Amino acid sequence: MANAASGMAVHDDCKLKFMELKAKRTHRFIVYKIEEKQKEVIVEKLGEPIETYEDFTSSLPAEECRYAVFDFDFVTEENVQKSRIFFIAWSPDTAKVRSKMIYASSKDRFKRELDGIQVELQATDPTEMGLDVFKSRVNL
Amino acid sequence: MAQLAETYACVPSTERGRGILISGDPKSNSILYTNGRSVIIRYLDRPLEVRVYGEHAYPATVARYSPNGEWIASADVSGTVRIWGTHNDFVLKKEFRVLTGRIDDLQWSPDGERIVASGEGKGKSLVRAVMWDSGTNVGEFDGHSKRVLSCAFKPTRPFRIVTCGEDFLVNFYEGPPFKFKLSHRDHSNFVNCIRFSPDGKKFITVSSDKKGIIYDAKTGDIIGELSPEDGHKGSIYAISWSPDSKQVLTVSADKSAKIWEISEDNKGTVKKTLACPGSGGVDDMLVGCLWQNDHIVTISLGGTIYLYSASDLAKAPLPLSGHMKNINSLAVLKGDPKVILSSSYDGLLVKWVQGIGYYGKLERKVVSQIKCFAAVEEEIVSSGFDNKVWRVSLKGDQCGDGDCIDIGNQPKDLSIALLSPDLALVSIETGVILLRGAKVVSTINLGFPVTACTIAPKGNEAIVGGQDGKLHVYSITGDTLNEEAVLEKHRGAITAIRYSPDVSMFASADSNREAVVWDCATREVKLKNMLYHTARINCLAWSPDSSTVATGSLDTCVIVYEVDKPASSRVTIKGAHLGGVYGLAFTDEQNVVSSGEDACIRVWKLTPQ
Repeated sequence: MANAASGMAVHDDCKLKFMELKAKRTHRFIVYKIEEKQKEVIVEKLGEPIETYEDFTSSLPAEECRYAVFDFDFVTEENVQKSRIFFIAWSPDTAKVRSKMIYASSKDRFKRELDGIQVELQATDPTEMGLDVFKSRVNL
Repeated sequence: MAQLAETYACVPSTERGRGILISGDPKSNSILYTNGRSVIIRYLDRPLEVRVYGEHAYPATVARYSPNGEWIASADVSGTVRIWGTHNDFVLKKEFRVLTGRIDDLQWSPDGERIVASGEGKGKSLVRAVMWDSGTNVGEFDGHSKRVLSCAFKPTRPFRIVTCGEDFLVNFYEGPPFKFKLSHRDHSNFVNCIRFSPDGKKFITVSSDKKGIIYDAKTGDIIGELSPEDGHKGSIYAISWSPDSKQVLTVSADKSAKIWEISEDNKGTVKKTLACPGSGGVDDMLVGCLWQNDHIVTISLGGTIYLYSASDLAKAPLPLSGHMKNINSLAVLKGDPKVILSSSYDGLLVKWVQGIGYYGKLERKVVSQIKCFAAVEEEIVSSGFDNKVWRVSLKGDQCGDGDCIDIGNQPKDLSIALLSPDLALVSIETGVILLRGAKVVSTINLGFPVTACTIAPKGNEAIVGGQDGKLHVYSITGDTLNEEAVLEKHRGAITAIRYSPDVSMFASADSNREAVVWDCATREVKLKNMLYHTARINCLAWSPDSSTVATGSLDTCVIVYEVDKPASSRVTIKGAHLGGVYGLAFTDEQNVVSSGEDACIRVWKLTPQ
């Protein structure tokens, strides 16, 4: 399926892995990359359920854009264990302008492919993706 | 976590040629005054405990407690009055625009139901009285043609309002609803202050013509005056009654405060003159006063608050002072970590002692504006806007004679090599200047616009930061600088660079909100992602054991990072100083001192998480 705005296709694997994360909880996070040559969004990295937030941040490159899905677990005030699925548009200030433009224009269509995202976040530097930001966004 | 340990408050902002009106609450023994956009509540028995209200959008002019002590009404130059609660975190009750220009005086009615405000504005609105909760008008106040400097509400029934102003008139209104009754034109100059006695029988006006006139409170007729013999020799700016209505305190531009006894036949005679214990300059003109319970408070033009005891007038007053303007530089004296020195751009250097508060002003022989300063042991090096760098020795509370060096260019940043204080580095627009003692040793043109610089404690290395965000590391041999390395990481002009006390690391901050800690030997980034500020970083400080670094920014926050932990585990002090944090220093491992645009200095205690 082609993306109308920027012509990027979405590889079927992306959607499959996302369904696995949602239903069977087999991954902690998924990092997606846009391969310009194949004009596709592909899965770059999968995180095991035991991996943590720190492993997730270290798998995002500091000078390039990515899309990511993170399954965030937390405990509410009433001591209830809950989780939220975050979609993160990682667009660091130091990335190339062309890269930022491609990711920005394809984001909307890509997100619609992934059914079940609860919170969306855009981060332009590591502080905007900090754990405190996650915690503050869980309340819808 | 960080907790506010002490506040060294600013002093009231004063203006030459005008008095200021301060008020207080006898129940909680506190006084209220304004500085910039803040209203400051100070407790007379606990000078280190200060509460600040900073919600005005314009410079605040006057603030008053309501008669029941629960609310404070404060007014600003835009003509807005805000009524907020004294307890409960200053919750706002009501805000309304009372006049179209600045408000000079504000009074509550004794039942707390009405507020009268006077000031200047366009056309008719020079005085207005409103109901406190709804803002509806309760009278027509015509009769003044110029700025109304003061107004007062009769504290007993039947209610009367009196106003006085720059048109030399004293107007008397009856009500409610208030209507003009009569007017007096006995003063020959601006009438500065008008106050009713607490028993509601009389009121007095004081004026720049050095006279004070006493009137009957119910009818508004003149019944007497303050005796001209032994009277003031300058404009009288403010007046305050004693709680028993038998005595009044006046302050004047002749640098003295006088206590008058009001006799039964309504003549005022001087009982005591309190001369201002200062060096006698313009700064000692007294501009404000308050008589509350047993305390007599007078405020001088230089901002010093003198606290006298009413029952023991012979006792020397307690002076409380501070800064009136933006404090742009802070230093903690290395030898004695509990002494803090601060400077503000108007040229004032103040010494503070942790735990005690205001210690004294450093008398400087030449009063010029200070841009930044550095202090080490018993010496202060300061740079000013007049292209001069002053090296002054510090003996106790006096500055010795200093040496002045004209460097020919506006100095931007200043740094002393702490272990060999002879050597100082000053950065200017085009390069840096190396100073040894009081002589310019070399002027090095670096070819790029320099914004910040620092010199290592041993004087062997210097780091210069430029407008483009690049850090240049130089080694100093003799009198020349040799470039060793150029470090690129910052994405904005560098604003501050500091070596850690153990010289193993240095930290740099830029105007793009980012701070970075580097390792000195390898020149590699040690701690990055310190991007948590939302506006340019103004200052940086290291703790004495080199384990924590703090950054202060224009966004009013101070963020403390631990070098060994990731940047995300930080302690943020939000709203440290209204207007921005400009100076930072550590006094010991747990205490951080910050200063800012609001002219206050705060000491924060850090508790490990």
